Amino acid sequence: MKKTGFTTTIPLEVLLAAGRTPVDLNNLFITGGRSLELIETAEDRGFPRNICGWIKGIYGAVLESGIDEVVAVTEGDCSNTRALMEVLSLHDVATVPFAYPHDRNPEALQAEIERFMARFGVGREEVDRAGERLEPIRSKIREVDRLTWQDNLVSGQENHYFQVASSDMNGSPDDFEAELDSFLQEARLRAPSGESVRLAYIGVPPIIDDLYTFLESQGARVVFNETQRQFSMPYGIRDLVERYRAYTYPYDIFFRLADIELELARRKVDGVIHYVQSFCFRQIEDMIVRRTLSRPILTLEGDKPGHLDARSRIRIESFLELLGERT
Amino acid sequence: MKIGIDLGSRKVKFALVTEGKVARLDTFDTLSFYKRFGRMKGDELTFDLEGTGLFSSRELAEATVTATGYGRNTLHLKGVRVVSEIRAHVAGALFQTGLRDFTLLDMGGQDTKVALVRNGALQDFVMNDKCAASSGRYLENMAAILEVDLQELSLHWEEPVRLDATCGIFGESELIGQILRGHPIARLCAGVNQTLVKRVVPMLRRFPSEIVVLTGGVALDGALVRLLENEGFTISVPPSPQHNGALGCAVI
Repeated sequence: MKKTGFTTTIPLEVLLAAGRTPVDLNNLFITGGRSLELIETAEDRGFPRNICGWIKGIYGAVLESGIDEVVAVTEGDCSNTRALMEVLSLHDVATVPFAYPHDRNPEALQAEIERFMARFGVGREEVDRAGERLEPIRSKIREVDRLTWQDNLVSGQENHYFQVASSDMNGSPDDFEAELDSFLQEARLRAPSGESVRLAYIGVPPIIDDLYTFLESQGARVVFNETQRQFSMPYGIRDLVERYRAYTYPYDIFFRLADIELELARRKVDGVIHYVQSFCFRQIEDMIVRRTLSRPILTLEGDKPGHLDARSRIRIESFLELLGERT
Repeated sequence: MKIGIDLGSRKVKFALVTEGKVARLDTFDTLSFYKRFGRMKGDELTFDLEGTGLFSSRELAEATVTATGYGRNTLHLKGVRVVSEIRAHVAGALFQTGLRDFTLLDMGGQDTKVALVRNGALQDFVMNDKCAASSGRYLENMAAILEVDLQELSLHWEEPVRLDATCGIFGESELIGQILRGHPIARLCAGVNQTLVKRVVPMLRRFPSEIVVLTGGVALDGALVRLLENEGFTISVPPSPQHNGALGCAVI
């Protein structure tokens, strides 16, 4: 099956209906074991030092993997993606733009999804069938999430993994569902975790690889992974257009914050880690996040892949101490 | 009897507190301290505290020892309690000033920390990240370019020459350019002090309090205090700003 890459979550149902193997290029870049080299490749070819690591990593990952068709989300994510799309076209990669309307207008989103379906030569019926195939998998991911915050049986890292992988179902819905089944079976037999501090992780997924394990070594656990959860289409909505209108990530920050506030209360979160990527426009939104949320917030910035640096560790430790004193 | 140790990036600070009173304060240069008295045992850093001659063997035997600072993640010393820097500095400021509600501004060799304290408890904090161009080390570099000592640098706040580089290294060449334009040393010193103010004011505005407690080695820079006052802040510098973290460790 032909592989089709994408730069952030798009209606996966369309690619599956078209018989493509979906590849979330972020996951390809960060899990390949060579993420730093991929960034260096991009910088050697002329990508500026002060541009987001994900953009450079995706560029390197596309070239290295030989993927020749990429869906680029040009509205609803950063505008760097447009330039990335243009640069990739120089390497004979076919690029397909996809735009989420900023105002969440249902007609505009429907028109965009229909244009997208036409590009891949599939109709609504096939796409809805693909959606029905995905729903039981998404429902199992919701169960992983529930076991995380309600039953305290799943770690923040595991919660992150299953939700972040749902953007492309690891390229194979059947295999991914089997992996979920065996994980759920094992997790239900565990003893509940006895952590003292409950954290929310909001913002794009971390480029740092040991954040969750470090937090857990300090007696804290992430019980809410905001964006990763969004990738799994967590609301169980049957209608395709409504499903992607409820998806908060590509729309305005206030819509995202309403979902975050709700989950912070429901999951009894003590403190929030707002992760921002260096050079990302979402660093500006940190101001709004801080003004809106009613919990203590630590803003953590990451640039390149790798382990947490000593300074971030110190800041996290101090933040956890602060939370420990408050609770 | 309590000993506090603050392992900073430029200086290692010691405090001995007996019955709630400061009995002794001392300072070592970090590099020479690590070279002379530190060694790695496996993954752990150990210090020969007795070898420093700062404390008698009776004091070391009787006192509880608490440490903070850069080396603390790898620090292993029998009987030493290790606390985070923010906690140590807040405790030091509470002990030294007797205040309960304030914003703490700690400016050390590399770190700038701003913490909001209400009713004696830490509420929130920010720290500089990725860049240390508002630190003691930056002041040392700039003083060296101007060929003045830190004491001279700390005297000047009037009519600062405008310096805009966001990088501490590019800032050196910008300063050289301004020297070539013939500005008097006093105005150049004031300009360097003003760059610190520009960097810390956004952090201070985040946590407004009636009083800002200024600690760390940079608190000895009187011109900085004056320039912060010009921005409308009421500044309180405790008696031993450089030893604030060590004192905090001792009293925590």
